[in-house]
Amino acid sequence: MNEFHDTGERRRSSDTPLLITDLIDEETVRSIAQEAWSALIGDDEFLVPLPGGPPDDAVSSWVDVVGPWTGTVVLTCSRATAEELARCLLAEHAPPVLDAEDVHDALGELANVVGGNVKAVLPGPSALGLPELGSIPAAGPPADTCRVDLLWRGRSLTITVQGSAGAVHITPENNPQKNEVPL
Amino acid sequence: MRALVIDDSKVMRRIVAGILEGLGYEVQQAGHGREGLDVLAGGWVPELVCVDWNMPVMDGLQFVSAVRSNPTWRHVTIMMVTSESEHGQIVRALAAGAHEYVIKPFTADAIRDKLALLGLLPQDVVR
Amino acid sequence: MTLTATSFDWVRALVHKESAIVLQPGKEYLVEARLLPMARERGLPDVSHFVETVRHRPDPDSTRRIVEALTTNETSWFRDGDPFTALTSTVMPALLAARGPNERLQIWSAACSSGQEPYTIAMLLQDSLPNATSRVSITATDLSREMVARTRAGRFSQLEINRGLPAPMLVRHFTRAGNEWEVAAPLRRMVTASECNLAAPLPRMGPFDVVYLRNVLIYFDLPTKQTILRRVRELMRPDSWLFLGAAETTLGVDDSWERVVVGRSSAYRPLKGK
Repeated sequence: MNEFHDTGERRRSSDTPLLITDLIDEETVRSIAQEAWSALIGDDEFLVPLPGGPPDDAVSSWVDVVGPWTGTVVLTCSRATAEELARCLLAEHAPPVLDAEDVHDALGELANVVGGNVKAVLPGPSALGLPELGSIPAAGPPADTCRVDLLWRGRSLTITVQGSAGAVHITPENNPQKNEVPL
Repeated sequence: MRALVIDDSKVMRRIVAGILEGLGYEVQQAGHGREGLDVLAGGWVPELVCVDWNMPVMDGLQFVSAVRSNPTWRHVTIMMVTSESEHGQIVRALAAGAHEYVIKPFTADAIRDKLALLGLLPQDVVR
Repeated sequence: MTLTATSFDWVRALVHKESAIVLQPGKEYLVEARLLPMARERGLPDVSHFVETVRHRPDPDSTRRIVEALTTNETSWFRDGDPFTALTSTVMPALLAARGPNERLQIWSAACSSGQEPYTIAMLLQDSLPNATSRVSITATDLSREMVARTRAGRFSQLEINRGLPAPMLVRHFTRAGNEWEVAAPLRRMVTASECNLAAPLPRMGPFDVVYLRNVLIYFDLPTKQTILRRVRELMRPDSWLFLGAAETTLGVDDSWERVVVGRSSAYRPLKGK
């Protein structure tokens, strides 16, 4: 838990770049994700703050945040977990057979929902990028990374909010389409 | 009643459309603001549009402004459904002409509550 | 096994008998979702097994919990909006005309839960009445200490904010506080929150001009309903207004009230001489 309360003083008094660890703590990120899970995955779905070890066959989705703090909100889990999430998200609206596109889309949308709410806690105004999907992005600089390891239905799921310096992604098409919100 | 659901996520479109269909709406879907405008321009003008903010080609805010600049669509009620949740962003959406704002994540009940506020809940839906 | 028609019909009949709330066909999913924790608690594989167990050997504790699980809704803003519309369109103008300019009006939200009802009232008054903060005070009470603390804090999660709060009111009366939203300070000052058990003798409060006692009586048997209505009435002014939940009425419970239609809502007013 980070006890630092951002008052904006730091930003006014120096040009030191903002560090995510000064802006948001693990519990806030977890509670944002928990709200998303309760609303979208199911009433009784809990994200337990326990590390579950690195998933096999990991897949990540992420959204970029560009503003006073610039970086990326990344959601990482195994492919099997992503499929289960997509099924829960669609619930009775799920087609008989889920295709890869549905799974990618669902994981991207979860990153978008968590990312949008993380962004709202950070100093603004900031723009939110469109969700992207690929293999695990490079870790951000440790001092500018807030990492939350969670278990959902016993499966491991990690959310990181990481500064841009280390965030180099490899997307399937290598075509990060962006849609900046006019500020 | 008719509703147009605009979101770049197919999964999210299906969820919102499913909720609205469950309430008795006839629903069409579009993947971004430009596609949404094409639906309206094609003559299918619904009572309600649910529109995401961040989308490729044309975002939700641009879509709202475009709809509001055309007087023939003035009776269309627009509800933004988006993960954009800063105070200032909600103010901007309302100023552009959106009537309501649902923050993602939402539940089916949240959509229904907002439609009740807007007087857009089909009459035969009993809680 | 999914819920059988027999199980569902039994639950519907039970809920209707106890709460007057009607579960429409198609609400099977609601029964499944709300009763699943109770089934699991008893080590039963699904809701149908649980319902069948209780149906064959009903016990008051299980039936009460089933009714509560199916009638307790997440609190929302402007819940059943009509009693709030009635406040600004009819009730407040009448009271303001009847009272002196320096008389403070007192409103009681008698089962305030996490605070949506008292703050809905506060926002409406702030938006419609000059100097609302000095003109009106709102007493918010709840049985639960936790709910009273939450009402006092005036902070709401994103999911709570999504439940029926009009967006223009959100931006006018709330600010972001971390990943929650906080009610503006002047509105928080209008609301005083405290614990209160409606089924016990009431503390010294009021006298109230308006009382919101909504979705509370449904949980009590007839004699308790009568006692509560009598005690509430003792805290109300002669020309005051009582709002009950949509499924509730004083008719057939306590004849010392006059039912009046206000817009699309009903209010109850103390009958003179009773």
